[in-house]
Amino acid sequence: MIKMNHSLIIFLTLSFGIISFIASLSLGAADISFSDVTSSLLASFSTDKDARDILFFERIIWELRMPRAILAFLAGSGLAVSGLILQTVTRNPLADPYLFGISSGASLGVVISIVLLGSTISLVTPVAAFAGSLIAMLMLLMIAGRRQSQQVESMLLAGVALSFLFSSFTSLLLYHTDPQAVTAVLFWTMGSFSRAEWATLWFPAVVIISCVVMMLAYRRQLNAMLLGDESATTLGINVNRFRLVMLVLSSLITATLVSLCGGIGFVGLMIPHIVRFFVSQGTTFGILLTALVGGIFMIWVDVLSRIVLENQELPVGVITSAVGSLFFLSLLYFRKNKA
Amino acid sequence: MLCLSAPKVQMTWSSNFLNSSNEQFSSIPPVNTELLSVQHVYWHADGQLILDDISFAINKGSFTGILGPNGAGKSSLLRCLYRYIKPDSGSVKFKQQDIWQQYDAYQYAQDIAVVLQETPTHFNLTVHDIVALGLLPHKGLFTREQPSDKQKIDCAIKQVGLVAKTLQSFEHLSGGEKQRALIARAIVQSPSLLIMDEPTSHLDVRYQIQVIELAKSLGITVIATFHDLNLASAMCDQLIILDKGKLVEQGTPQEVITSEMLSNVFGVCAQVSTHTQHKVPHISYFYGYDIQDITAQSSELTHD
Repeated sequence: MIKMNHSLIIFLTLSFGIISFIASLSLGAADISFSDVTSSLLASFSTDKDARDILFFERIIWELRMPRAILAFLAGSGLAVSGLILQTVTRNPLADPYLFGISSGASLGVVISIVLLGSTISLVTPVAAFAGSLIAMLMLLMIAGRRQSQQVESMLLAGVALSFLFSSFTSLLLYHTDPQAVTAVLFWTMGSFSRAEWATLWFPAVVIISCVVMMLAYRRQLNAMLLGDESATTLGINVNRFRLVMLVLSSLITATLVSLCGGIGFVGLMIPHIVRFFVSQGTTFGILLTALVGGIFMIWVDVLSRIVLENQELPVGVITSAVGSLFFLSLLYFRKNKA
Repeated sequence: MLCLSAPKVQMTWSSNFLNSSNEQFSSIPPVNTELLSVQHVYWHADGQLILDDISFAINKGSFTGILGPNGAGKSSLLRCLYRYIKPDSGSVKFKQQDIWQQYDAYQYAQDIAVVLQETPTHFNLTVHDIVALGLLPHKGLFTREQPSDKQKIDCAIKQVGLVAKTLQSFEHLSGGEKQRALIARAIVQSPSLLIMDEPTSHLDVRYQIQVIELAKSLGITVIATFHDLNLASAMCDQLIILDKGKLVEQGTPQEVITSEMLSNVFGVCAQVSTHTQHKVPHISYFYGYDIQDITAQSSELTHD
């Protein structure tokens, strides 16, 4: 862990976060300068109607890019915090929100909605994805909840098994459907923020903010869980119940995000590890920093997805996996050399 | 808030130990009130009886050592005491209240602190983070740390002599420092009973003495398991001997530490004398002898 001043870290991260947010509003198919973005943002707070109306790109910023940037930030924050929580309560550094079959459940839901119900990617899709995720989560809870001893192993193994089970059903359904639907499902599973709208943003915002607040409230218990089940019990924690509560919170975040953005892997695994290099994560500061870094990372992933290819959008999941894994490997290499 | 009297660490403890008065090691607990009582506890695992009709009582302010060979049930008994495993039958009462019926885990943790033998270290919590966990049983979910909590944590870290390591990662501490950090956590927990599972295992002799002296200096009731019988004899007011899940001896070190007990329970040949300075039983082991040989030699000497 690199020792740095907390105030300095907050200052640097927040500054970079603001720059990233403005950059995400500026960069894209239609380039809008930083100054125009700032003017547009300031104009929206102005009471002078004329000043607001003169900015022709205001619609691009407010109706397209702003909800998209907010959803990207929420997705990054939610997945990062979710990963942190799962890694903590399972004491497994490879734990990830997608390890527990939630994403596979969502994919199955989407495929069912497209193949069996004949719907295209529309309003039905997120509902079907959310339903699939919840079913996966409930099955996982039923299995993990039954085993009081070796609960972590049960959770991890059940998650992997459920993941394969749902994937096999998904593959079976896709095998018997037309190629167009397969392409639609494939693109959906690779993740995108293009479906972001103001009308639906409240849902992930409420879920993620509520879950993060709950996790902040449980910060001491999360730290205690790192010391092992026995030690946590001696500090007054009902370990099995607590682990299930945390699993529900992380699953809710994941289910919500998967239903709105599709599958975005690697963020939940990577961001907590990156933040862990710099700060102790069992604090309010550590959890908030993880959320902040996850959000900023995802904003830039979204920017990249829009600008890498001309007139075409790259799936978000492709970038998170590529950029994330390279960055993660370089950090591991750096740490090894330091040691 | 002022810190409690902070004992000096490092070699000072050792010298305190060596120069201390004999009374310190043979003293009777100052207050003879029953704090914990175990009545007819049975517990089994995987079809095997691990604890077999265990009954004893612990007085307030005493330092009790639990001894026994490997597999005797020491750690299992401690787990019953700190409410990690529920006995199949029998009862464990703390302050005359059944710990399973009249306490929940949260309430119990407000009164009992535990220092475990092994703690996972693959995380990057600092010494401060670890010590601050002692506040957990006393804080609500949305309660923030108060300035007095910060002082309490700092005092505990000072008391165990780890001020210079406050922001250091726990996993990079030495074995003795880890034990001291966990004791600091126990201090912050403000318990009336401290339970330690083999607190001196993996520690060199200096750290062994430091850790036990530190636990004694807290002035609260302590129950600890030991493998070093001489250390237990020197430090404990009361000893409990377990063998194959049964309680076979209980009493002061003078009453319990005998050649017969060592032979019967541990299967070793040893001579028990009185420590010249501390007047507590001191064990000298015989190596390479069979118990029968020693018995024969002893009887020959008696006849001569």
